[in-house]
Amino acid sequence: MVSFIGRRLVAGVLLVVGISFVAFILTNLVPGDPAAAALGQRAIEDPATVAAFRAKYGLDEPLWRQYLIYLGNLVQGDLGTSQQTRRPVGADIAKFLPATAELALAAIVISLVVGLALGIVAAVYRDRFLDSLIRVLSLGGVSVPTFWLALAASVVFSVKLGWLPSTGQLDPGMDRPTDITGMVLVDSLLTGNWETFGSALEHIIMPAVVLAAYTIGMITRFTRASMLEVLGNDYIRAARAKGLPERTVLFRHVLRPALVPIITVTGLALGSLLSGTVLVENIFSWPGMGQYAYKSSLALDLPAVMGVSIVIAVIYVVVNLVVDILYSVIDPRIRQG
Amino acid sequence: MVLAACGGGSEENSSSGTSGGGGASKTLVVDAVFSLKSADPAHNYEPTGQIVARALYSTLVTFAGDDLTKVVPDLASSWTTSEDGKTYTFTLNPAAKFSDGTPVTSADVVFSLNRVANVKGNPSFLMDGLTVSAPDATTVVVESATVDSAVLGKLANPSLGILNSAKAKAAGATDAADAATTDTAEQALNSESMGSGPYTLASLDLTTEVDFEINADYWGATKPTYTKVVLRNVDAAQQKNNVVTGQSQLALDLSPDQVKDLSGGEVVSNSVPSQYTFYLFTNANPEINQWTANRDFEDAIRYGIDYQSLLELAGEGSRQAAGMIPVQLAGALPDSDSITRDVEKAKASLAASGYDGSPVQVSYPSDLTQNGVSFTDMATRIQANLKEVGINVELQGAPITTVLDLARGGKQQIGLWLWGPDFPDASNYLAFGPGGVVGGKRVNWQPGSDPTIEALMAKALETTDADERVAVYQDYQRELNKGPVMSLIQPAQVFLAASSLKGLTYNLVWTVNLGELS
Repeated sequence: MVSFIGRRLVAGVLLVVGISFVAFILTNLVPGDPAAAALGQRAIEDPATVAAFRAKYGLDEPLWRQYLIYLGNLVQGDLGTSQQTRRPVGADIAKFLPATAELALAAIVISLVVGLALGIVAAVYRDRFLDSLIRVLSLGGVSVPTFWLALAASVVFSVKLGWLPSTGQLDPGMDRPTDITGMVLVDSLLTGNWETFGSALEHIIMPAVVLAAYTIGMITRFTRASMLEVLGNDYIRAARAKGLPERTVLFRHVLRPALVPIITVTGLALGSLLSGTVLVENIFSWPGMGQYAYKSSLALDLPAVMGVSIVIAVIYVVVNLVVDILYSVIDPRIRQG
Repeated sequence: MVLAACGGGSEENSSSGTSGGGGASKTLVVDAVFSLKSADPAHNYEPTGQIVARALYSTLVTFAGDDLTKVVPDLASSWTTSEDGKTYTFTLNPAAKFSDGTPVTSADVVFSLNRVANVKGNPSFLMDGLTVSAPDATTVVVESATVDSAVLGKLANPSLGILNSAKAKAAGATDAADAATTDTAEQALNSESMGSGPYTLASLDLTTEVDFEINADYWGATKPTYTKVVLRNVDAAQQKNNVVTGQSQLALDLSPDQVKDLSGGEVVSNSVPSQYTFYLFTNANPEINQWTANRDFEDAIRYGIDYQSLLELAGEGSRQAAGMIPVQLAGALPDSDSITRDVEKAKASLAASGYDGSPVQVSYPSDLTQNGVSFTDMATRIQANLKEVGINVELQGAPITTVLDLARGGKQQIGLWLWGPDFPDASNYLAFGPGGVVGGKRVNWQPGSDPTIEALMAKALETTDADERVAVYQDYQRELNKGPVMSLIQPAQVFLAASSLKGLTYNLVWTVNLGELS
């Protein structure tokens, strides 16, 4: 197991270096001048101002040297300085990541609970009305555009029904709880700050559900298909023939082998969740990395774009590693293979 | 342009706060789409940044409400102008003090203004040609290298807000000539304000939220009403929902269509011409495009555009721009000078140009929507207008950073852009004439190519009498309207507010003054 994890980690490091190279090349290929994007219409006309900007962010160096300097700094954990916030990119990401992680985790929990439940029900009631209904709903989940769903949910649950707030992470003016994990919901719970917890819970529901909609649809469809595949096996018929209760058959003999593709799809879903946060965070004014990435891209803030790309790459690598480990726990044949 | 106090008549305040401390705590929530890079005045020059700086920092002089025709005292209680019009002497108000209680001195003013000049940030150009000195603790002298009627208007810009120099220096600020590389105070100024404005900075997040706390000892005549103000970065689509549901009290980025049926009851909306002028230019360099450099072709475009159709796109409250100078500034042209569409004239000009039907490119920032008007929609409509007169337009939309590069290199065949005033004075619009920042560099309209308009530009800079200035700037724009720069519309600035919010006015420089809201 240790050598298995070691191999994966080495591959992961190489992948991150490769991604840093690709991200660097791509961000520099984008037409447009970061100085022009950062400086105003008057400032850009002043050569001294432009020169000061270029020198400050190392843009006056040749491209190959910029990359080597970046790589050297990266090894030391330095992601550079954001041209937009003029703060270290690492500090910016550390500030914004917990809010995104909180939202993505809430979405993944909702996706798993709802998606698994709907998938199991659909498989059990195969080709009956309930199955058809769930299949239509799951199709809707994967095909409705996130921004449309976000706006529609806001109009219904915020404007028409007045049940949920549609902006931010907490009520305006409310103090954040003491910083422990950086996740407001978790920190308010840990510090017993119930008023803040209530506000945080209210604020996260709508963005998390909207973000989860696509993943719910995906997990539902995969769970149904995977369950049906396992349900067709001889050993399931044998278990039923032995007179085992249906619940035991389903949860002990069907669900576990059916979980392997579901874990895969959940790992992959994290990618769509992370990219989905850009839209969701912007529409719901969620103070996370999605908003930071979006604004950085618009401003051609190359260090910030690079930093976010690398952090997301690392998250992918780690999640894939966890998925691989989970595979081998569920099905030891994978590890041996 | 007083926008509030005309709603449903609710007498309760618009706060969302609770009682606390010795008195009632009132929180104001304002939603905006952020354009914010810093809370450091020397680095701040974006629309949201101006709202922030106006709340945190006082300036030597300022404007009251939406009136840009007259500067009024702020830190300076009075001032005089020398006979040659180049030297301004300000006397500081002895009551003026920073939020930590220390008095504002002339040394603070000199330090702050020199720092803006030397730090080489976006607003540094405001100090071009100006030198500042302090003969004594309460007197500030600003000397201009040339006669410049815009000096007082520039000094009212929040980017020239005055810092507590002792605190700023302790945080790494410097006004030395090499401040561009040695000043390290920006981060400190992004976490703590060091000004004398009606509010202090509680917290700042450039992408999500800025929180203000009342400056309890604010020395100015109008005391701030709210104990806390939250300025949030909210998507334009959500801003309306938030005001309607009471989650916020003011939204700044809605389009006229979004608020069409909303006024009355708990909310009030108003649409007025914004600070921006949308314009189009045809490149005067025949090497870029032989047709756009042709004066007859230029006329065919001018008279081929259906300005009314652009106004329909921009919605209620927008207006056709008779000239480049927005209607709020002295020197703006009256509506009677607006160009009207004349298809026959456009076709005749096109025939005279010898145009062969080859495509000409209109490039524009496809990712930019200002005041609810999308550049893509506007370009598409212009394409349709010009097709009717026989001009074959090819649309080239691209992200703003890409198109800016093209524009600044003078490589756009036809450019579709907007312009907001850098300072509230008509002289800012001399940029569009031959050799100007836009006229010369983007349009390739070279100096010496139009003696009539260049004579008017020179006269405009020399003229100091207010009435004469208006006349000369109007003449300048009438000539401009015959050239390659074509003003199109001023879109509407829409405010949607809780009807109980008072004191809301639209100021071209800082949009809203949080300190005036009650």
